[in-house]
Amino acid sequence: MALALLLSIPIISILLSLLVSRKTLYLECIAVCAGFFELAATIVIIWQVIHNNHFSFTHLFSVDALGALVLGITSVVGFFALIYSVGYLRVEMEKGIVDFKKVKLYFLLVHTFLGAMITAIVSANPIGMWIAIEATTLSTTFLVSFYNKSSAIEAAWKYLVINSIGLLLGFFGMILYFTSLPQESISGFVDWNVLILHAPLLNPVIAKIAFIFVLIGFGTKVGLAPMHTWLPDAHGKAPAPVSALLSGTLLNIAFLAILRFKVITDTVLDNWYTQNLLIFFGLLSIVIAVFIIFVQQKYKRLLAYSSIEHMGIIALGFGFGGLGSFAALLHMIYHSCAKSLMFFASGNIFLKFGKSKTTSIKGMIHVMPITTIFFFIGFLTLVGVPPFGIFMTEFMILMSGISNHLVISLVVLILLVLTFVGFLRHTVGMVFGKQDESVQLGEFNWLTLMPLAGVSCILIVLSLYLFPELQILAQRAVLYIN
Amino acid sequence: MFISVVLLHLIKRGSTAIVLYVFQSALIALLLILSSFDHPTFLLGCAIVATIAVKMIAAPYFFSSLLKKHNLKFLVGNYFNVPVTLLIITALAALTRAHIFKDLALLGVLHADFLLIPFATILVSLFLIINGRGALSQMLGILSLENGIVSFALFAGLEQNPGFQLGITINIFIWIMMVSVLASLIFKHHGSLDVSAMKRLIE
Repeated sequence: MALALLLSIPIISILLSLLVSRKTLYLECIAVCAGFFELAATIVIIWQVIHNNHFSFTHLFSVDALGALVLGITSVVGFFALIYSVGYLRVEMEKGIVDFKKVKLYFLLVHTFLGAMITAIVSANPIGMWIAIEATTLSTTFLVSFYNKSSAIEAAWKYLVINSIGLLLGFFGMILYFTSLPQESISGFVDWNVLILHAPLLNPVIAKIAFIFVLIGFGTKVGLAPMHTWLPDAHGKAPAPVSALLSGTLLNIAFLAILRFKVITDTVLDNWYTQNLLIFFGLLSIVIAVFIIFVQQKYKRLLAYSSIEHMGIIALGFGFGGLGSFAALLHMIYHSCAKSLMFFASGNIFLKFGKSKTTSIKGMIHVMPITTIFFFIGFLTLVGVPPFGIFMTEFMILMSGISNHLVISLVVLILLVLTFVGFLRHTVGMVFGKQDESVQLGEFNWLTLMPLAGVSCILIVLSLYLFPELQILAQRAVLYIN
Repeated sequence: MFISVVLLHLIKRGSTAIVLYVFQSALIALLLILSSFDHPTFLLGCAIVATIAVKMIAAPYFFSSLLKKHNLKFLVGNYFNVPVTLLIITALAALTRAHIFKDLALLGVLHADFLLIPFATILVSLFLIINGRGALSQMLGILSLENGIVSFALFAGLEQNPGFQLGITINIFIWIMMVSVLASLIFKHHGSLDVSAMKRLIE
């Protein structure tokens, strides 16, 4: 029932939003209610998964511990992103940047995006998951080009083309896994369990080729280097709440697909094959991101490169395996919260200063002190300062890698220090200094602050206390992955 | 199919490129129809109808409208000249014979070498996307890549899972509509479909 409700909420929201012809308030109410009910349904599903290990709705949809974790992140970030969208678009409407038509289009696309993401997570079928992930690309393309500027259209084109190629390559990898199935299974319904069951019949060489295609294909969506080139442009040009959704939720979902295929591949080959590939792409992503973070001039692109870096850390964690996998799962949660917080804050900064370059922003602490505090919380989390959760997960990932991959762990440690220095340089420049006289002091409406407060609270609480339920889910997910 | 994607690299007229894509899609539809004689199922029938409707009717309609709307007769061109392009295509075709792909050929249900043709189509389509400077070339490259993958699945004996066909065809339909709108926006902002002219995001 909860899963049916979860899947139907975005559809109902789209239909209701289509009926709204004049009042923005109705669109806003639909959005907030949709976010709330999605979150409520997710909590019920997670509760069921904790107690029954599994939650299914027909043979098409099911949620396991790994899916429940990603679903939880998606619903929490989705809920706050929808609330933030209301506040953000209100300010943009006041400024005359968008009109009612644009706001309506925005909410229609965001509901479609959320619906596609939820479907991708709960789909019991690899083809269903692939279709849903492709649908996320299609629904977000016009969100990336939302402001209809030349640069935004360029970013949207790049996003659509690169992700379409990536997902087609992922699809090719996926069909290679299907070749292990006997003819009677192919014609039937093929879910993840059927694929795992028949995985020992898969030719090991084919399994290797298939995983490379899947990793490159879905890795494009994750933003792993060198397939990451769409990510800074798309995240930089999309409206701030969409950037939060892209970074905080979508990347995890593509990672979920990789992990599911990793499990199948590991049944055929030893773990070392998939783990080494994940370590390679993870390390490459961290290296590329860290050096660009140092010289980056725009704060939204800075956050986008930080996403690439963190996806690299997560890949590294799964590559190291064991404790590293557990830490990588927790890292996903902390990163999603921190990154959505930072993108919400960056939305407020852009609305206030109207500039995208870090060097153009000065004296944030005087201009918008509340946003600055949240921005700083997000910054401290992202760079891995204790006691925030990312410090703990990065420490655990490095610890798990030190025994078998000492050199890589040390290199990553140095890179993390460099990230801290690079990020700090930009943040200090933005937060302190003398502000432009023309900038009006004060915050915007409470809807642009409440989501920041909500995500910050979750981030702080989860950093200080890891709920036993969350630990159970993460442990079960690690068991599944390893 | 392989020849059509090679020709897509060489031809200059937009309308010819669309015809080549329709020809490629017709081959896919034909393969599906032949497969339905052996294993007739309702879903496979739907997949055939969807393939014809989307790839042979809707896609050429959208692309022709795009060309007509902006009065475009010729494709923008490629990054590499014809000799270099042919050389790379030859290298890619030869690559499918490499030792690492030997096991891939064994998946073929009819004849081992048959499967290498769609695989070569996939590689050459990827090259078409990279080589093409025009938005239309990139769009056709992606669709050709998709056709290559579908034909690979058919030759690998996966035609009995119509979920593949139906899912990917519906996706392609939405994709074509969106990409046409986006291409129109590119033309509106840049005055051409030359994607190499889009340099606003270069850092």
